[in-house]
Amino acid sequence: MGRLLTRNFCIIAHIDHGKTTLSDRLLESTGTIAEREKQDQLLDSMDLERERGITIKAHPVTMNYSAKDGQTYRLNLLDTPGHVDFSYEVSRSLAACEGAILVVDAAQGVEAQTVANVHLALKQGLTIVPVINKIDLPNADIPTVRKQLEEILAIPADEAILASAKTGLGIEEILEAIVARIPAPPVQTDEKLRNLIFDSVFDIYRGVVAYSRVFSGAMAPGQAVRLMSTGKSYEVKEVGIFTPKPLAQETLQEGDVGYFIANIKSTAEIKIGDTLTEQRNPAPEPLPGFQEIHPMVFSGIYPINTADFEHLKTAMGKLQINDSAFVYQAENSVALGYGFRCGFLGLLHMEIVQERLRREFDMDIIATYPSVVYEVAQTNGEKVEVDNPAHLPDPSVIAEIREPVVECFVMCPNENIGDMMQLILEKRGEVQNTESLDTRRVMLTAVMPLNEILVDFNDKIKSLTHGYGSMDYEYAGYRAADLVKLDMLVNSEPVDAFSSIVHRDKAEGRGRLLAAKLKEVIPQQLFQVSIQAAIGGRIIARENVSALRKNVTAKCYGGDITRKRKLLEKQKEGKKRMKAIGKVNIPQEAFIEVLKTS
Amino acid sequence: MNLEPTAIRHLYVHIPFCPKVCPYCSFYKEASDRNKTQAFLDAVLLELDTFGPDQVQPHTIFFGGGTPSALSTRQLSYLINGLRDRLDLSALREWTLEMNPATVSEEKAELLLSLGVNRISMGVQAWQSDLLVRLGRVHSAAQALRSYQILRRAGFKRINLDLIFGIPGQTPAQWQETLLQTINLGPEHISAYCLTYEEDTEFFRQLAIGQLSQNEFQDADLFELTMDTLIRHGYSQYEISNYAQPGEECSHNLAYWSGNDYLGLGPSAFSTVSGRRWQNVANTSRYVEQIERDGNAREFSESLSSETKLSEKIVFGLRMNRGIAEELVMPWSANIKDLESAGYLRREAGTISLSRSGRMVADAIGELFV
Repeated sequence: MGRLLTRNFCIIAHIDHGKTTLSDRLLESTGTIAEREKQDQLLDSMDLERERGITIKAHPVTMNYSAKDGQTYRLNLLDTPGHVDFSYEVSRSLAACEGAILVVDAAQGVEAQTVANVHLALKQGLTIVPVINKIDLPNADIPTVRKQLEEILAIPADEAILASAKTGLGIEEILEAIVARIPAPPVQTDEKLRNLIFDSVFDIYRGVVAYSRVFSGAMAPGQAVRLMSTGKSYEVKEVGIFTPKPLAQETLQEGDVGYFIANIKSTAEIKIGDTLTEQRNPAPEPLPGFQEIHPMVFSGIYPINTADFEHLKTAMGKLQINDSAFVYQAENSVALGYGFRCGFLGLLHMEIVQERLRREFDMDIIATYPSVVYEVAQTNGEKVEVDNPAHLPDPSVIAEIREPVVECFVMCPNENIGDMMQLILEKRGEVQNTESLDTRRVMLTAVMPLNEILVDFNDKIKSLTHGYGSMDYEYAGYRAADLVKLDMLVNSEPVDAFSSIVHRDKAEGRGRLLAAKLKEVIPQQLFQVSIQAAIGGRIIARENVSALRKNVTAKCYGGDITRKRKLLEKQKEGKKRMKAIGKVNIPQEAFIEVLKTS
Repeated sequence: MNLEPTAIRHLYVHIPFCPKVCPYCSFYKEASDRNKTQAFLDAVLLELDTFGPDQVQPHTIFFGGGTPSALSTRQLSYLINGLRDRLDLSALREWTLEMNPATVSEEKAELLLSLGVNRISMGVQAWQSDLLVRLGRVHSAAQALRSYQILRRAGFKRINLDLIFGIPGQTPAQWQETLLQTINLGPEHISAYCLTYEEDTEFFRQLAIGQLSQNEFQDADLFELTMDTLIRHGYSQYEISNYAQPGEECSHNLAYWSGNDYLGLGPSAFSTVSGRRWQNVANTSRYVEQIERDGNAREFSESLSSETKLSEKIVFGLRMNRGIAEELVMPWSANIKDLESAGYLRREAGTISLSRSGRMVADAIGELFV
C-alpha cells in the first residue's frame, strides 16, 4: 500500500479519559477485531498495568479503513505509555507518527497529564486531533472543555470531535479526521534505509521483536542491516505488521510501521530511538532525536533474607530482558549486606519494578530511600555524578551540588489553591504560573526539585484535594542547590542505608524526625543505644534508646532446663533477622520506617 | 551397698494432681481422680525399679507438682515408704515436699516429718484475698497463716514460702505488704517470682486477647523492691528468684542449676543422667500405661553436646549469686568485657557473677551464651 494511503498516529490522554476504550472501538469499526474476540483493554497485557489502569507497553496495530473518499487507508495506531517516567520512550513513539488523537474526558476536562502529553506531541510537530470523549455522561460539560482546549492547550475548539467511545458515537468522524487531517508520511529524502526503532520486547522463542517505523528505503528478510548507534550488524529474519496478531510481510517500506526480528538476543542490545540502516548502502546520518536512556531515580534493593541474593540477581536479570531502561549493579551496604543499586526512569517505573520483583518473582525485598542523580562540581574542577548519598564526596572538596528539577503541572480545585501553593513551597518549588481551567479548577505550573516529588508529593496532592487534584511533570535540567548529606549514626557509627541528601534548610527537621522515628522502632537492648543525626561532623539531633531494664524469667524449676535454654535460643534467633550494626540490632521495620519518613 | 561414683544424688517425683487448676500455672497437672491415684503411685515405684534403685543415692529429694499435698496421708505414706524400701537414704540431707495451704493438716504434717520429709515449700503467693481470687487459688490468706503455724508446731525447721509479684491489679504497696507479712513469719526460705505468662495457660490467653495487660516497668520496680526488702531483712538472694537465711538454700534446686545429674519420676518429669536428658510423657494415664508396658515413659530425649552443657552451665550458673568460674566464659571474652563495662558483671577471685542490674536482664545476657 502506498505512502499516500498510510496514516501513522497515536492516542494521548489522561488516565481514565478513555484511551483504551477508544482504541478498542477503532479496532472494531475497522473490522480489525470482531466484537466477540475482544477482551477488555485489548492493548494492555501485563496484570500490573491493568490494575493500575496504565499502559506501559503495547505493540502497534495496523487497521485497514475504507474512507468516504472511496480509498482504503492503512492506519497504524502506535501505543504510547502515558506516564512521564517513560517520556523518552513516548517521544520516540511520537516521532514515528504524524498525528495524535488527544482524548479529553467531557466531565473531567483537561488534566495535568493531558498538558504534559500535548507538550510532548507539539514538540514532535504532530498534528493534533482533539476528541471530547464521554459526552453521554450526565455531567458532561462540553463548552468548558472546549474553552480549556483553546486557553490551556491553544488548540482551536471547533476542531474538537464530540464522541463517546463507549456508545460508539463519533467514531466514524474520528476515523475520517485521521484520514483527512493527519498528513501522510513525508516523501523520503533518498532510498537509503532509515528505520526508527521505538520499542522492543523479548520473546523467549524468537528473541527480540523490535517495533519500528520506516522513514526511507525498505526492509526485507535476508537483508544485512546495522544499528547506527552501536555499529552492530544483523541479518533480518522476518518483517511484519500487527493485525493485531503478528503477520509476516515480504517487505516494510517508507511510511510503514511494523516489527522485525533479526536474531537479537536482548533488548539491552537494541536501544530505543536508534536508527537501523542497511549494511552495504547505509544512510549517511541517523534519524534525529536518539538519546541513551539515563535513569533518573536510584534506589538500593536488598533481599530481606541475605541468602536470597542469588535469587534476586536472577530475577533482576529476567526483568531487564524486557525492560532495558531498568539498570542494576551489585553493591554492598554496611547495614543491609549484599544487594543492588538500581536505576529507574522515574517513580512509577521504580514502583513497577519493585512490585514485579515481589509478585512475579516472589522476592522479599527492602528498598532504600530513593535518590536522584546529583551533579557535584569539585573544587579541583572535576565533575562527578552521585546517585547514592553514601558516595557524596567530602564537603571540603565540593564546589557546588546541582540537582535535577522538573516543570510540574498541578491541577486542583479553586478552594485548595492556598494549600497547594503552601505544599509546593514546602517542597522547595517556585510557582511560575497560575491559570484558571474553568470556574472550578486552576492549574499551577511550578519548577520543583525532582528529589522533593519522589516520595509523597502525589499522595499529598490527592489528600489535600480529596482526590480531585492531579500532577504531572517534565524534566527541566539541573539547578544548583544548597544540599547537604544527612547521616544517621547509631552508637556513633554511620548507617549508610539511612543517609540522604537533603536541602540544608530541611536537614535539621528531617534529622530530628528520623532520630525520633528510629528511637521508636529500635527495641531496647542490653546497652544504651544512641541515635544521632549529623551534617558533616556536626550533630544536629540526638535520641537515646535506654538500656533494657528487665528481661528475666523468674521460674527455672522442675529440671526443665531444656525448655529454658530453647527459649533463649529462640530469643537469639529472633535477633538474627535484625541487622546488627556494631552491638545494636536494628529490625527490618526501621529501614522501612525511614523510607516512609519525609 | 557398693555405689558407683556416678550415682545420682538428686531425685524428683512429680505428683500431677491438683484440687483445682490455677490459671497461671504451666506445670503438668490434672484435677484429682481417686481411681487413678493408686495406679499412679505404683507406676512411680515401678519406674524407679526399672531404672535401678541402686543407681540412685539421694542427697536431696523433691516432691513437686501439681500438688503433692493433694495426696491423702495414706497415699503419701504408701509412696514415701515405697521409696524408703528401695533407696539408700543414708546420705539424704534434704527432702522437700510442695504443699498447698488448703491441703495442710496436723496429721499430714506429723506423718511427713516422721517419714523423713524435712522441708516444706508452700505456695502462699499473696496475702490479699482479692489477689488470691485473681490467681484462682483455692486457699485464703487466713488458711495460709494457719497452715504455716501447723507446720511449725509439727516441727518443720525448714519452710519455704512462694510469693508472686506482677499479678494483674497488684499495687506496689500490696507487694510490699506481702513481703513484710511473710518476713514477719520468719520462713527460712522465700521464693519470689514475677508472674510469667506461660503459653498454654488461661492467663496467657487473656493477655493475648487484651483482657490482661503486663506492665514491664512496674514489674521491674517490684523486682527491685523485692531485692531491697528481703536483703534488708537478712535474706540473701542466692538465685534470681530465691532468697534464704544463711545456710538455708535449697540444695535440690542448686543441683539443677549447677548442672548435676538428677532422676525425675512421674509424668512430665525431666531427668538428666550422664549427658542425656529426657522427659516423661505429660499425661498420667499414658504414663501409667507406658510404665506398666515398658518400664519407662520417656517421650522426649536429647543428648547434651559439650557446647550445650557449657551453655547451660553458664546461663544457669549466672542466675546464682555465687556465679561461675571465669574460665568457662573464655570464648566470650569480648562479650564479657562489654558486660563488665556496662556494670552487669562482677569479677572476683576467678569467678564471674551478675551484678544487681545484671540480674534484672539475666535472660538478655544468657542469650549471648546459647
